[in-house]
Amino acid sequence: MADRSFSASRLPGFSTIATIVFVVLYAPIVTLVIYSFNEGKTVSAWEGFSLRWYQQAWSNDIVQEAALRSLTIATCAMLIATTVATMAALGTTRTGPFRGKSLISAMINQPLMVPDIVTAISLLIFVAAIKVATGYQGLLYLILAHSAFCIPFAYLPIKARLESMDLSLENAAADLYASPWQAFRRVTLPLLAPAIMAGGMLAFVISLDDVVITTFVKSGGQDTLPTYMLGQLRRGTEPDVNAISTVLLALTVVLLSLFFLLTRKRN
Amino acid sequence: MKKLLLATAIGFMGSLAAHAEGELQLYNWGDYTSPELLAKFEAETGIKVTVTDYSSNDEALAKIEAGGHGFDLVVPSNSFIPIFAEKGLIQPLDLSKLPNHANIEPRWMDVVWDAGRKNSVPWLWGSTGVGVNTAVYKGDINTSSIFLDPPAELVGKVNVTPEMMDAIGMATLYVGGEVCTEDTEVLKKVRDLLTAAKPKWMSMDYGMEDKMATNDVSASMYWNGAIMRARLVNPDVKFGYPKEGYLLFMDSVTLLSEAKNVEEAYKFMDFIMLPENAAMLSAFARYGNGITGSEAFMPDDMKTAPEVAIPEEFLALGQFIPTCSPKAAEYNTAIWTELMK
Repeated sequence: MADRSFSASRLPGFSTIATIVFVVLYAPIVTLVIYSFNEGKTVSAWEGFSLRWYQQAWSNDIVQEAALRSLTIATCAMLIATTVATMAALGTTRTGPFRGKSLISAMINQPLMVPDIVTAISLLIFVAAIKVATGYQGLLYLILAHSAFCIPFAYLPIKARLESMDLSLENAAADLYASPWQAFRRVTLPLLAPAIMAGGMLAFVISLDDVVITTFVKSGGQDTLPTYMLGQLRRGTEPDVNAISTVLLALTVVLLSLFFLLTRKRN
Repeated sequence: MKKLLLATAIGFMGSLAAHAEGELQLYNWGDYTSPELLAKFEAETGIKVTVTDYSSNDEALAKIEAGGHGFDLVVPSNSFIPIFAEKGLIQPLDLSKLPNHANIEPRWMDVVWDAGRKNSVPWLWGSTGVGVNTAVYKGDINTSSIFLDPPAELVGKVNVTPEMMDAIGMATLYVGGEVCTEDTEVLKKVRDLLTAAKPKWMSMDYGMEDKMATNDVSASMYWNGAIMRARLVNPDVKFGYPKEGYLLFMDSVTLLSEAKNVEEAYKFMDFIMLPENAAMLSAFARYGNGITGSEAFMPDDMKTAPEVAIPEEFLALGQFIPTCSPKAAEYNTAIWTELMK
């Protein structure tokens, strides 16, 4: 008997629209990746395969420093954001209903709603005041700013996992005289681990990509890879920027694939 | 993981020591500072320069105005220097600490934004003109009609940089007005001229150093340094100086009021005004500097480049964009918004 339930894939024009969407999404990225391997200096004429732009980018001290700085910030932001997000997710799912619970959830997710530029400008003013008062110019500002806007990205997958987890396992642990801490340590946390890792990876990727907030918060000599690349644009992009973009893209794809695998595994 | 923690720890220590002796914080446009020059400066003086990038004058102004930025020197464009000065963000220079100040070319000494160069010393300058592929169009290229009233050969093949002040400034000069005018008759002509020309344009985009080199674009309102780079790849590309008038821009080094490494900053400013060092800046960014005698140290392909050494007959036709009054700025923005629709 024919399956009569609704399916978007049987609507007229489905495959045409899907194809267009994927071409529009991926054609520019594929072009960028292809031309990062171009021998020539121009971006619109193919002159043969070469890795010279990768070598040029890799041997550039400024690129190396910016890359190390990006990774340092992203790693620290990931650790802080994931820890805070895990506690927040436990606090908003493993507690009885309380006044303002949904308000708190909404407030945690605030960076998702507020435009980056608004966060950036408010941070600029706020951080500048602290810099004047303390004289400290270090990386901590960027790490904390990144941690803050990464929290909701780590929070959402962890909260989703906690909400879908079977409470009976935790109840069983309690019935067997496990203390609340033991139950958490031996039952909840292992079950939650994939979601925590997934949230962490998402936070890492979001931190790695940020331009707007970093631009406004950075102190002297604190360019990250994305802000460095933006600064290059004034003289027209050199193909080594394509090479850096391709590496960033590859890193992002790997992390997002891991995220996908981790969140899918137990469903 | 350990390595990253170590790197972080080093990062923190490094930033705590940021105001130690022999440090200088330079806040400059991206891809604009010659690394060889910085290495030479460090070798001669022991001062380590840290460069931080910005990508627009507004970005630099916003960040510095907020305070606590930690920078010593910033390099704004001509029309922004009076703004920085009026807001008290930069300090007047002690010229006795700058013996090489005398090397500034006379034409860059009494500039509209800083008469006598008491607040700023030259970094690099350039001009906004037209780049034309002379294999496509064989007529006179020294005119803004290339993009404001394109000849038949160039219709649909012209690009215009999406820079409001450049496009409106060139159009204002073309109709015989003054840049930043408040005269509504002139402004109406500018608006009509631009809106009539727009359908004949191919694009409003950057990146002409590539697109004109490969002949994807046949003509463009653009900057001299980029057109020179296109010409080095494709000899058919030529840079025209419109006879109706064209625009100049110059980025200059200024000392911030909050600067902590003041002595180092003076040493650096004096250093870049030595002819051989100014030539290093030019060789890297492909723009002219404002220092007498630097030509001798320029790379050979720049010494005679018509894009950098403005031919005598066009010298008087170039002018800097002044700092527009708020009213003029409002008119310009209105024209630009209408054009962008």
